[in-house]
Amino acid sequence: MNNVLHIVWLIPILPLIGFLINGLFRNSLSKSVAGFVGSAVILASFALSIFAFLQVKSGNTHLAHYFNLINIDALRIGFDFKIDQLSSLFLLIITGVGFLIHVYSTSYMHEEPSKDFAKYFAYLNLFVFSMLLLVMGGNYIIMFIGWEGVGLCSYLLIGFWFKNNDYTNAAKKAFIMNRIGDLGFLLAVFWLISKIGTVSYDEVFSATSLAKLSTTDITGITLLFFVGATGKSAQIPLYTWLPDAMAGPTPVSALIHAATMVTAGIYMIARSSILYSMAPVTQCVVAIVGLSTAILAATIALKQNDIKKVLAYSTVSQLGYMFLGLGVGAYTGAVFHVMTHAFFKALLFLGAGSVIHAMGGEQDMRNMGGLKKHMRITHLTFLLGCIAIAGIPPFSGFFSKDEILAAAFEASPVFWVIGVAGAMMTAFYMFRLYGMTFLGKFRGTHEQEHHLHESPAAITFPLIVLAILAVFGGFVGIPEVFVHGGHKLAEFLAPVFAQTNAYVSSHHAHEALSHNTEYILMGTSVLLALVALSYAINKFSKYQKTETASTGLAKVLENKWYVDELYDAVIVKPLRSLSAFFNNVIEKKGIDGLVNGVGKAVNYGGRQLRWIQSGQVGAYVLLMVIGMLVLFIIQFFVKNI
Amino acid sequence: MNAIIFSAIWGVLMMFTGAFVQSKTLPKYLAITGAALLFLLNGIELYNGTPIFNINGMNMLAITSMNLTFLEVIFAATLLFFMLSGRDVERVGEHVSEYFALIFFVLCGVSLSSTYNTLLLLFLGIEIMSIPLYVLTGADKRNLKSNEASLKYFLMGAFSTGILLMGIAFIYGGNTNASFYIDQIHLGVGKMPVMITVGVVLLIIALSFKVSAAPFHFWTPDVYDGAPTVFTSFMSTIVKAAGFFAFIRLFKTSFGPVQGQWQNLIVFITVATMLIGNVTAVFQQSVKRMLAYSSIAQAGFMLLALFALNQTADDGIILYSAAYSLATIGIFAILIKMNDYTIEGFNGLAKQQPLLGLVATICLLSLTGIPLTAGFTSKFFMLTAAVENGHKFWVVIVAVIFAAISAYYYFRVIQAIYFKEPSSAEPVIDAERVSGSFKILLAITAILILILGIYPEILIGWAHH
Repeated sequence: MNNVLHIVWLIPILPLIGFLINGLFRNSLSKSVAGFVGSAVILASFALSIFAFLQVKSGNTHLAHYFNLINIDALRIGFDFKIDQLSSLFLLIITGVGFLIHVYSTSYMHEEPSKDFAKYFAYLNLFVFSMLLLVMGGNYIIMFIGWEGVGLCSYLLIGFWFKNNDYTNAAKKAFIMNRIGDLGFLLAVFWLISKIGTVSYDEVFSATSLAKLSTTDITGITLLFFVGATGKSAQIPLYTWLPDAMAGPTPVSALIHAATMVTAGIYMIARSSILYSMAPVTQCVVAIVGLSTAILAATIALKQNDIKKVLAYSTVSQLGYMFLGLGVGAYTGAVFHVMTHAFFKALLFLGAGSVIHAMGGEQDMRNMGGLKKHMRITHLTFLLGCIAIAGIPPFSGFFSKDEILAAAFEASPVFWVIGVAGAMMTAFYMFRLYGMTFLGKFRGTHEQEHHLHESPAAITFPLIVLAILAVFGGFVGIPEVFVHGGHKLAEFLAPVFAQTNAYVSSHHAHEALSHNTEYILMGTSVLLALVALSYAINKFSKYQKTETASTGLAKVLENKWYVDELYDAVIVKPLRSLSAFFNNVIEKKGIDGLVNGVGKAVNYGGRQLRWIQSGQVGAYVLLMVIGMLVLFIIQFFVKNI
Repeated sequence: MNAIIFSAIWGVLMMFTGAFVQSKTLPKYLAITGAALLFLLNGIELYNGTPIFNINGMNMLAITSMNLTFLEVIFAATLLFFMLSGRDVERVGEHVSEYFALIFFVLCGVSLSSTYNTLLLLFLGIEIMSIPLYVLTGADKRNLKSNEASLKYFLMGAFSTGILLMGIAFIYGGNTNASFYIDQIHLGVGKMPVMITVGVVLLIIALSFKVSAAPFHFWTPDVYDGAPTVFTSFMSTIVKAAGFFAFIRLFKTSFGPVQGQWQNLIVFITVATMLIGNVTAVFQQSVKRMLAYSSIAQAGFMLLALFALNQTADDGIILYSAAYSLATIGIFAILIKMNDYTIEGFNGLAKQQPLLGLVATICLLSLTGIPLTAGFTSKFFMLTAAVENGHKFWVVIVAVIFAAISAYYYFRVIQAIYFKEPSSAEPVIDAERVSGSFKILLAITAILILILGIYPEILIGWAHH
């Protein structure tokens, strides 16, 4: 398959074909056909992605130019795909995890009428297509097309059950918040175009282009890109849509709002790593925003009772870690965490979906408990996922999180302390969730208890595969202290970040952490996580429902620090009154008046000019002669009109 | 020059067919074949550069890829016109093959006037193009309006022909090179000699008449309204585009270097044309008459090419001709089938004939210049050209404002098509007049409009080839 890189366009086209088939024939396709088509196209993309990955691994990267999307003056924006180490890795994650989730969905969504079932798969395929465009694009514009496409699909899928008003509102919230971020992205692209006249990665990152950018330019551009990333990847201040996005079907949460779309911001910054490394101010902002988000979301997750909400805040928090990694220059670490997070968070979401399925749609953990004996596979895989996210060695989460925390320590010990506190909380809330759901006694209704069952194979199969990945996925990045040359991922990604690393080492004296320090850091974080974990299990395996309302800090946390209410008061309400003013005064009195006035004037003029057209040839010729005279006068006596 | 010879021969052939063959449908198929052959032969010449008949011994013709591309557009539009409206030509009167023959003679004139290299051939081309039109306008012999329109057109046409000849005479008289070749007119240094200046003004007047630019447009509404609708469709698109092309080529080649000395006139004519075309169109109740004024308004936009006179304008005029011809032929093809030509007559078209409603809407959107349609890209090219010209930026602003006004009268029809209930119980179109092939051709027209709107390079690429 030496020429697989020349047919990479098939990778995104296949899901697009799936989208078209399912979308156009949704009324006539049976569920099994729709599910088969939807999953098969992703599987085919996955197979091609593997071949592409192997090609890249053996050293062949590929830049494919198909046609010019925009060609105005000196500005040429091509429809380009760039297949290199970074994008091929993301291809594997997207199509691989995507395929598992499609399979899972065939069972999870089976209750839907077949028309909606096919529509669901059409959207899901369209999402995969857009996400593939996003990572395969060879310039920021193609990335932006994908970026918008995934935003659209996210909107469509969050509001999939659009008859429920709350769900529709959640979808709108996600879309609007994303649009705010997108504006930042667009502005950054415009800034790039105006300064260096190109958006293709290779040209932007070339030494000549970078030389044209002043420090202000780079800082501004990177900050604006980061604004885009906060929208898509749910960081402060634009994170509030992600927890609400749980209104969508659970597999959607797993695919879009955990494994793939929300990591688009990380991909984009990793792709632009050279720009970020040249802008220390932005890096500092990214690190602080990431860390704050990680902590804030973790605190909120401590007190949530909706199983999906906990996972949602956990996602926000983990994304925060990834941004912390990017901010301190640990690009490989961040990408590594994207990968492991995709495994264990997709696993956890799908596990939660399996639980919800068994509970007949119940999402409140207070009504669960004791599911361990009813759902053995779900329980076991979920437990593995929890251990992985808690950062217990040798599970995958440990390696990636440790890499980020070690880099954070190098940047500033304060970052490390806060980061470890967040990791403790992660361990705590995950095992709180685990304890409340799977341990103790069942607290739901008898009907629910009677109905409890393990999910069918289409659901457990993805769980098992993801569990294996969540357990062993970390071994591609074993830190130097354990095995020399064990960090295969860093080795693989090295060419992508070579330019950045060269820049960084030429500008900052860099001293690697001594092995002893690293052992101490790891030991501490693992120990603290274990403490938090055992405390949580101990406490919540005996959980009983209580009716007392919480007070003080607990209440604030339950209400998510009142951030939604704050946004509502500070932004939404003033905007509403401003638009009411525009509607009632400026629009109705000003603009309508002007437009109607112009209309009346034109109408009047038309009525008058019509009389000239009398139908008499003599009159016409006379008018023409007058016209000729006018022209001669203009030619000989008028200097300039 | 394949097209000149072939179109003349085919015209004669068609006339003989009329005399010897009684069939009423044969002429249409012959005409379609003729147009297709013209398209093909011209395409071959454009592609490999060698004509079958080499008649250009005196270098009196300028056979460039730009000119041939323009002709290619013209022949494509004619072919489409024949296929879409051929059956309606048959309904005009008894002498079907004569009508088609006259159209081929017009095409011969168009071929000449698009490739002339001397003032004499310009004159010949324009006259060969015009005279058959006088006859076609009066083709509906028993209709008084048609007769009246024909006579008016002929009288005023004769008047403008006189002016054209006078202009040519002045230019020749003032030209110290004593040559009719358009690239050998000696303009002197600094200000043009008075003889030449008078000649230029007279040529502008005569050619403005041919493209129905204000204030020499008075014949247009009456003639377009009175002529049988099929021929209005032909006149207002193909012939008009050819007039523009001739106009622009002459002024670019001969008087381009001294554009500053006559640009004022063009500005005056452009703005007056846009004003009168758009403002009067607003008030029309008949769609046919509205389209007549709209053709004046569109002429105002095409005049921007003459105002700009640069490479973008050259590309723009070819694109505009194609876009405008496609949309107008499409909307006329539907209009001919309508039982009622007023705007109310279109009420509820979309419900009874969804495809026709959609195609009519696409055509009207293209005429308005809404993005994704060819009308948008061509207007965009024209405005770009005018901006690149660098003088009198306000003309561009005026053009944009008038383009916005045009939305009013085009959208009234769209509104009628989609948002109004039929005013009477009778169908707006008799279903038997709408054949399956007609629908397919309309759909192709709409698709072409969209293709040119998204990817105009395919057309412009030829002109640069």
